Amino acid sequence: MTSREMMHRSEVAVSVELETPDMTLNIGPQHPSTHGVLRLVAKVDGERITEVEPVIGYMHRGYEKLSEVRTYAQITTLVNRIDWVSGFANEVPFILGVEKLMDIEAPERAQWIRLILSELFRISSHLVFMSSYPLELGATTPLMHVLREREYILELIEGVTGGRFHPNFNRVGGVKPNYGGGSQTKKQSMDLPAGFFKSTLEAMDRMDQICDDIDTLVTGNELIKARTVDVGIIPGDKAIEYGLSGPNLRASGVAYDLRKVENYLPYDQVEFDVISRTGGDCYDRYLVRLDEIRESVKILRQAIDIIPAGPLQVKVPRILKVPVGQVYSRAENPKGEFGYYIVSEGGKMPYRLKIRSTSFSNLTILPWVLKDQLIPDLVAIMGSLDFVLGDVDR
Amino acid sequence: MSDQPDTATEPNPLEEYAAGIAERLGAEGSSAEFDTVRVDVARDKWVETINEARKELPFFSWLSAIDWSKDTDVGEGVANPDELEERFEVMCRLSSVENGDGAIFFTTLSKDDASIGSLTATIGGAEWHEREAHEMFGINFDGNKNLVPLYLPDDFLGNPLLKSYPLIAREVKPWPGDVDVEGLPETDEEGDAS
Repeated sequence: MTSREMMHRSEVAVSVELETPDMTLNIGPQHPSTHGVLRLVAKVDGERITEVEPVIGYMHRGYEKLSEVRTYAQITTLVNRIDWVSGFANEVPFILGVEKLMDIEAPERAQWIRLILSELFRISSHLVFMSSYPLELGATTPLMHVLREREYILELIEGVTGGRFHPNFNRVGGVKPNYGGGSQTKKQSMDLPAGFFKSTLEAMDRMDQICDDIDTLVTGNELIKARTVDVGIIPGDKAIEYGLSGPNLRASGVAYDLRKVENYLPYDQVEFDVISRTGGDCYDRYLVRLDEIRESVKILRQAIDIIPAGPLQVKVPRILKVPVGQVYSRAENPKGEFGYYIVSEGGKMPYRLKIRSTSFSNLTILPWVLKDQLIPDLVAIMGSLDFVLGDVDR
Repeated sequence: MSDQPDTATEPNPLEEYAAGIAERLGAEGSSAEFDTVRVDVARDKWVETINEARKELPFFSWLSAIDWSKDTDVGEGVANPDELEERFEVMCRLSSVENGDGAIFFTTLSKDDASIGSLTATIGGAEWHEREAHEMFGINFDGNKNLVPLYLPDDFLGNPLLKSYPLIAREVKPWPGDVDVEGLPETDEEGDAS
């Protein structure tokens, strides 16, 4: 194991053959590159990782157990906090599942508002990636630049939902009524805030601009390319076997997007492309996300054009009792397939709620993809998978 | 809408799809309620059926379990405890990566002998899901070489997602959110949404 080809690229010039016995290296749980509290126990031979065992669970909050003692309305508060950079996108499949069990359909305008907020959260989530990933690779400028632009998206979200990260805005049968302290006696709900469409369109122009800026700052950057091109290649069949979804799957040549194949929200009424690339390396995963921001901008411009007027809620019983049944409901979260298997036994609380969280499945490939990689590439590969530890640990 | 007649009696293409999968794989039964395709598999055919099914539904989405139990320390329990047969159900979802097709494969385990073959030999992604089901339900996956706790500390006792496992945090300290919750008007079940 001491041959030259096993040595780090930068050490190749050193002509002395050094003994590099196996060593166990602990990375984390508190480490800036781990996006939360993730520990990696890596066996290394010199600079090369021979085996890695991720240790998760530091943030396990037992949401599946807690859901068994919460009513359906209270569970949306919990699921907001699973993947906190895309809170609203976690609510959507849960609410759609409950609506399916209860045979309720939300009014059209509510569906469009759900779509608009989902896409805003997709942009917001991808912008977090666009700011943190270059930072992990050593570029500090994009962090401030991109996070500033993200504020425009968060302001829009705050204007509608009242919250920046945890909107808790979905209700069974529609979206949150009486926003802004409306009267309890009036049965109408207040609508989107005044000027929302205008400020969204302005923000979308800014998003186009920031995508071009990111292109200038990051995409063509020699150093970024050297760190990411052909690093951490995941072939399509491996991605499928490990249940990778979202941009991670699409970067491996599998153009699979639930917005196209799953019949939910009016995504069939807007035009957008499924972004996919074939390389499967870190650079492609980055590029897929960048182009998805542009697609989301496209979707939002159309949605604002199409969104019909109308009520935001249908009448539902005050106490939600969900009929006996089991449903699997899934949606395209910014990070991939997010789903809930809801088992109802006719009560006010689910009998069992299985949460299929995206980052958990996306992270299962870590031992496979990090094997035989170099320590300096570890951060580049982990960062490119874009996971949130709250989503992994649930 | 909730007051429209039940449409479940009409012929359902999804049910035909589910029956087709079940027939091709030699499964025990199938159903398709609420757009959710369910295929029932015999326990001793679990691994080979899933491997066969992956030829048409290659994407491994998730694996988990349900504890069907009369002894419920949390939540509301099942609708008809008298008719309930206590058991575990292990479920695994596979889907296509070209269209919306997908199915959840179910198998039943008795509580006395909660063990089943592991999928890890052919599906690398199943390892973590099986470890989770192992620590949460106490189900044994024969052939999973790394069946150590995933989320829980190594010295943790019990299987938290069992229905008989109490939610200890709530027994030590009542849910602090309780004080903010408006009492539910039990008589006003058909009340309005606002």
